[in-house]
Amino acid sequence: MATLEIKNLTKKFGRKIIAVDNISLEVHDGEFLVLLGPSGCGKTTTMRMIAGLEEVTDGTILIGDVDVTELPPRKRNVSMVFQNYAIWPHMTVYENISYALKLKHMGKSEIDQVVHDVASMTNISELLERLPAQLSGGQQQRVAVARAIAVSPKVFLMDEPLSNLDAKLRVSMRTELKTIHASAKATTVFVTHDQSEAMSIADRIVIMQDGKIVQIGSPEEVYEKSANLFVADFIGTPPTNFFDVKLKKTDETLHLVHPHFDLPLSPKNTTLLQGYAKEHLVLGVRPENISLVNEQAKIMSTTVLVVEPQGSHQVIAFKLDKDIIKMVAPSQLKMNTGATIHLNFKQEALRFFDPDSTLAIGD
Amino acid sequence: MKSKTNKKVIKAAKETVFYLFLTTLIAGVLLPVYFIVSLSFLSTREAYQYPLPLVPALKTDMELGYGERGYLLSVWDRIDKEYQTVLDTADLEKMEYYIKSQLGTKITEEELLFETSRLENSDEKSVFFTKPRALLNNYDTFFRVTRDAVPALIRSLQIAALTILISLSIGGLAGYAFARYVFKGKDTLRFSVLFVRMFPGVAIALPMVFILARANLYDEPLGLSLIYSVGAIGLTIWITASIFMGIPESLEEAAQVFGASKFQAFMKVTLPLALPGLAASAMYIFLGAWNETVAAIILTQFKPTFSVVVYQTLLGASGQVNLAAAGGISMALPAIFFTFFLRKYINRMWGGVKV
Repeated sequence: MATLEIKNLTKKFGRKIIAVDNISLEVHDGEFLVLLGPSGCGKTTTMRMIAGLEEVTDGTILIGDVDVTELPPRKRNVSMVFQNYAIWPHMTVYENISYALKLKHMGKSEIDQVVHDVASMTNISELLERLPAQLSGGQQQRVAVARAIAVSPKVFLMDEPLSNLDAKLRVSMRTELKTIHASAKATTVFVTHDQSEAMSIADRIVIMQDGKIVQIGSPEEVYEKSANLFVADFIGTPPTNFFDVKLKKTDETLHLVHPHFDLPLSPKNTTLLQGYAKEHLVLGVRPENISLVNEQAKIMSTTVLVVEPQGSHQVIAFKLDKDIIKMVAPSQLKMNTGATIHLNFKQEALRFFDPDSTLAIGD
Repeated sequence: MKSKTNKKVIKAAKETVFYLFLTTLIAGVLLPVYFIVSLSFLSTREAYQYPLPLVPALKTDMELGYGERGYLLSVWDRIDKEYQTVLDTADLEKMEYYIKSQLGTKITEEELLFETSRLENSDEKSVFFTKPRALLNNYDTFFRVTRDAVPALIRSLQIAALTILISLSIGGLAGYAFARYVFKGKDTLRFSVLFVRMFPGVAIALPMVFILARANLYDEPLGLSLIYSVGAIGLTIWITASIFMGIPESLEEAAQVFGASKFQAFMKVTLPLALPGLAASAMYIFLGAWNETVAAIILTQFKPTFSVVVYQTLLGASGQVNLAAAGGISMALPAIFFTFFLRKYINRMWGGVKV
């Protein structure tokens, strides 16, 4: 295992299209790093450059302190799980796994040992003699993973490996990948556009947008301390609710004024916004940070638009002018469409964003 | 009860019509094939009879009597059901030749001598005897009589093999490029590779004579295979490009990531998966090169191809339909063998590439 370091990496397609724009990041030894972003954000291109499948326009890639920027894929000592698995259809599962080992001139008995080890690790021991066409999607996925760990690579790359699986299998494979990672201790880069997948699997998440890195942090960090409006909106289901508010100073406390509410800020939040000079800002409130309160403690009252039961909790949607706001409430509470509710925000979890730069204020 | 019977009748009628249609269709396809196969086994005498016998006779019944000039040879006619006089000669050598060539029947000089002495020593006006047919007589004659049929066959095989080699290597690589890479003028090129196929062989044959003569390739197998490759490459690009497009690039990339060079990845992953398409192309190229006659007539002089030789047996005073049929069958056989040989891959081609 090894560290992976990317310095000022840039990829241009033709002259105009910049797929990856001067990004730098470091993946620690044994870390599970997720590249997350909407399609077209450059995450897959970044991964393909790490694998050597895409030429680098500018910048360097270091694997375990070795500059691999100009090396062909086979000399980088990485392995990869492809989105469509890319298992060779004319080879049996055994041949698929052993092919890379043969190219490494490993002995026959040793190959056999490794193949059986990874096969039992990924639960495909009884499928070794089958052809890929005879396997289900989930089994093919396991073969792809087994093939990738068999070579004991320095860096383990996964390009949306779960996106072709059905919803239930996807969730259980997440757990399995995490278990396999824990036992193989491989430095892993995992690409996905599914934020809940990223949240559940990652040690750290790299969020990309338009070829740039927007935020790097643990799942908790990117969720609670989203660096800008994009991240706050992209991470979490339902996403963060945004309110365009005005700052008003009365006495020593700051107030956030919205057509539907007037929120006095806590002393801590007041200090936070001390340095903010503009009048307008965007208030971000996660759905679970809107609380149902009694009439005395409310900052606003509204009527329920829709109730979406989720089993463990329920999502309550209501309308403020044109915006639909979503909040989370325990499922024990009986809620009906049209019911009047009184609301307040949890002060300690409020996030403030500059409407011009879209960046979070006060970090 | 009545309606039930009606339904049965209608069903039977429908089935009858269906099978009649099917039979007609099959007959339309198979009868000409049957005709030429059967014709290639008929003796010359049979081949010019009317109506034409459906199957060749397996033996010939003959009658030997006395004629004005010597011996009188008569042959049993299967259609008219009588012995018909065919030859009146004293020359036994001539008679033996006639029996062999016209009646396609095995006979030796001794056997003929034996029959004549049997006639001389008996009181009868004639003697009867039966000899087996030499069924492959036409084929034998075709290869023996026709000017260099065997060398022409070998040349044709050479030309077909060379054409496959040239077209598959160039066309296959080009097809791969079309499938995998983006480059300037791709659409124009894609169209223009088929553009060359729009010119019939005859149209470009004359300029080709000059070009080949300059290159010292006139009347050479290599020259012809180059000409055939022009059209075959276009077709190969077409077939192989779609095959390569059906093979995900990620399969090759995976091989590269797991330790193979670009070339190894192609050889070990893409090529085996593309085999059905390559086999189909090879078949098309083979059939094209093997059957082509027009350009071959123009571009060869002393070294004709097999198709030219078969064509020539149809012409001129030596032209005999049964010989031409034997030549035609001899020409069809390698093509049939080759296609059957590739059957496994061709069948996979029908089902498309499974990945």
